[in-house]
Amino acid sequence: MNKTLQMVLLVVVFAVMAYPLVWMLSISLRSGAGVSLRYYQEVWQAGPFDRYLLNSIVVVTLVLVGNIVFCTMAGYAFARYKIPGGRILFILVISMIMLPKQVILVPLYILMQKLNLIDTYAALTLPFAADPFNIFLIRQFLVTIPPDCEEAARLEGAGEMTVVFRVAFPMLRPALAVVAIHTCLINWNSFLFPFILTNTTEMRTLPVGLALLSQGAHSVDWGHLMAGAVIASIPVVVAFLIFQRQIISGLTSGMSR
Amino acid sequence: MKRTILLLAIALFGILGCTSEPAENGPIRFWQFWDVAAIQPIIDEFEAANPGIDVELEQLTWQSGLEKIQAAIASGTQPDLCELGSTWLPRFSYEGVLEDLTDVHLAIADDFIMWESAIWQGKVYGLPWVQGSRALFYNTDLFEAAGLDPEKPPKTWDDLLKAAMRINQLGEDVYGFGLNLGERYVLYKKFMAFAWGNGGAILAPDGSVVFNSPENLEALEFYRKLAEYSLKEKQEVLDHTFRNGKLGMQISGAWNLRNYAEEAPDLNYRVALVPRPSKNHGHHASFAGAEMLVIFKNTRQREDALKLARFLQSYEQARKVSMAVKSVFPASKEALLDPMFAEDDRLRVFVQQAMTSHSAPAHPGWIDMEDVINRSIEEVLYGRTDPKESLESAAIQIQSVVERFD
Amino acid sequence: MTSPPALSRDFIGWRPMVMLLLPWGVIYAAFFLFPFVFSFVLAFLKYNPLNVQNTTFVGLENFSHLFNDPRFLRSLKNTLFFVVGTVPLTTAIALMLAVLLRGRVPGKGFFKAGFFFPSIVSMVVISLLFKLFYAPDGGLNHALRAFGLGGHTWLTDPSTALPAIMVMDIWAAVGYYAIIFDAGFAGIPKDLYEAARLEGAGFKDILFHVTLPMMKPVIAFVLVINTIRSFQIFIEVFMMTQGGPLGSTDTLVLYLYEAAFRHLDYGYASAIAYVVFILSGIFALLTLKRFRSDGKAPA
Repeated sequence: MNKTLQMVLLVVVFAVMAYPLVWMLSISLRSGAGVSLRYYQEVWQAGPFDRYLLNSIVVVTLVLVGNIVFCTMAGYAFARYKIPGGRILFILVISMIMLPKQVILVPLYILMQKLNLIDTYAALTLPFAADPFNIFLIRQFLVTIPPDCEEAARLEGAGEMTVVFRVAFPMLRPALAVVAIHTCLINWNSFLFPFILTNTTEMRTLPVGLALLSQGAHSVDWGHLMAGAVIASIPVVVAFLIFQRQIISGLTSGMSR
Repeated sequence: MKRTILLLAIALFGILGCTSEPAENGPIRFWQFWDVAAIQPIIDEFEAANPGIDVELEQLTWQSGLEKIQAAIASGTQPDLCELGSTWLPRFSYEGVLEDLTDVHLAIADDFIMWESAIWQGKVYGLPWVQGSRALFYNTDLFEAAGLDPEKPPKTWDDLLKAAMRINQLGEDVYGFGLNLGERYVLYKKFMAFAWGNGGAILAPDGSVVFNSPENLEALEFYRKLAEYSLKEKQEVLDHTFRNGKLGMQISGAWNLRNYAEEAPDLNYRVALVPRPSKNHGHHASFAGAEMLVIFKNTRQREDALKLARFLQSYEQARKVSMAVKSVFPASKEALLDPMFAEDDRLRVFVQQAMTSHSAPAHPGWIDMEDVINRSIEEVLYGRTDPKESLESAAIQIQSVVERFD
Repeated sequence: MTSPPALSRDFIGWRPMVMLLLPWGVIYAAFFLFPFVFSFVLAFLKYNPLNVQNTTFVGLENFSHLFNDPRFLRSLKNTLFFVVGTVPLTTAIALMLAVLLRGRVPGKGFFKAGFFFPSIVSMVVISLLFKLFYAPDGGLNHALRAFGLGGHTWLTDPSTALPAIMVMDIWAAVGYYAIIFDAGFAGIPKDLYEAARLEGAGFKDILFHVTLPMMKPVIAFVLVINTIRSFQIFIEVFMMTQGGPLGSTDTLVLYLYEAAFRHLDYGYASAIAYVVFILSGIFALLTLKRFRSDGKAPA
């Protein structure tokens, strides 16, 4: 394709996509006299935002680790083994994504209550630590790769855990990159379940803290909402920039195999 | 090695799961919607004055608080004391999950307004805490530009219509009046202000449906006329347009006082009572919602929870909430005499407006009725049906809701 | 679903299998299967959390009522319109973006991050902000006025409210899918391109005969995921229009939400949830089937 055309198209699409965000940013800065970081300071001081941030990072990290470990294991089993009744089991796995989560709110709360897990990190992480989406993704990715390397490792006497984590895992890098992006985004912005499943300020995550702060009974506090949204997205942007490198290096090394 | 990681991961989740058992006679659990920073000092003061009573405070979001309350009730772990909006309270009273507070009511009935929503079948299930009514905001600069006297806000429907018409002519992007449309849950609050002012109602005192009354019809016809000179938009958009000085008048709540002071300090506007039908007919009615304090039935600490409720409700404490959140007012009648409210032109109007305001009917089926009413107003404003037909059909549907809850 | 490749072991023995499936299995049983079964049972009951004692069995009544309920039918129609309108467009635009990002482009990381940014912001915030963006003096009308257009109240006009939300949704999602496609592109072996180029294939030939066929599994995956997500459209309409004006943005999950948490009719809400479940299942299976019959996934 023509390089100039490619560039022009990219710039045009970028401008169209950036416009709403730029417009919104201008709104948040227009209020009061000139540009100020007042809203950011106020948001930060309005609650224990360092604590919210810490909670969010802890929760997302745990959920991410959980997903990478558990979904790789399960995804591998579904892709490579002939599990008795495995097909039905796998359909059951992915079908869970299709049920609107609003209906499981009350049963999940009751269960967490009975397990005495309300207001703990366990409540914020366990239900999300093996996202069916990720199992689906890893399984679908694995079936496109021939299991030669794994067979070779088995012939050399490697145990199944070694096969999964030493041999298959590196080949899964492109899929795991998507798993990471998906898991981080979903859980970083998750509001409803973290709100329902926690009671104390100490256990609140960032989206819950922001919702408590900026959404009044009848009005929206635009300045604080915008500032909060920017604060909440900074860690994801940073993570994305770091991950982007990882993804690229992961992809190139994974593909040369 | 990988196995160790796996075991570690499982163990990690296991350890995180450990919690301490709540004590048998633990603290009073109080769930409410306001910023903890505003409420915690009040709770601290209560705990200091009542050694031996601990309070565990939780803030709910307006967006999802109700889900949480329902989930908690379903699992039998509802709080002891809880804040409930006046539109929700009747359903909770009807379902029998609330403590009967009739005896408390009898002792303090005359000291507070906004009791209506707490009364179901002769019993009282909630105590009024804070309330918020809606009043007429008007932009004095636009009034002057349109040749209107900013000292004389519209007092009657005619005045309102004329003012809206003249301001609306000021320019393509200037609107006379702001009318809610394109969202649910809010429409009735604005329309019923005119219907109530005209002597209309949704349910008669005996519980019969009177939504299709001539009074309501007159109000709806007026409302439709007003719509011709109005920006028809969502509440946030109306508030925002008013903030930008492009909206002449709108009926809105006290939250704007705080927001405008912060975001648009140069905006010249005033607040007035909602106009009444004419000089010698009707009254300056509006909608007011109350935040009520309720005690759930399974509480082990009824007396302590009640003590806290009475403390929060007291004028001194409710005033602190009001000053901190700046969008609601104490439900106590003492607010009328308070110089803080009397000396501020805008605040005084809101306090005064609350005295002639109405809340949604205290019926457990209100949420269903609300949907019917909002839809009916919407259809008229979009020109899908004429006012009479719309009110008639809404009345039939409201009747069926009433029958469902009998 | 593709069946496991022929080389895989027939039966590896219970131990490794149980070991691999156990952590997932525990989480799945507790936090997925239990609520799933719970809500399935609810669909046949009249259940109100404030009054659990009066729960009654109503058989198929919740389901049969659906088809006489104008709001359900309206929500169904709007949701289908939303899915059919957004999923193909989002996928096509995302693919286009990913193609544009191929090769050496100056500022590639910058563009990528820019496209991706809307996916980072929570949908709650996006919805609130677009409420203003679509307002009469909002950003959209500002931009349109530069072209002599504008002045439309996008979200209060029943004919434009749902399309406006759909455009917002596409805007918010394309970057995310573009990144997935980008990752997929990187997975195509380089020698395939070289072989094609040696045969004298141009940009278009390579795109349609090498790149896209190789991308089929990724495209199918994105289509399925996006379909499932789109069937569950909720927070956007909940924050922006609450289903209005005149019910033009009523969606299934919004109705489900209101049936449960506003009208306290959890049984009916569950019935609606299972309609969403079955419909998105059918759509997902059809998509997968179509992509499979068109040719095998590259292995």
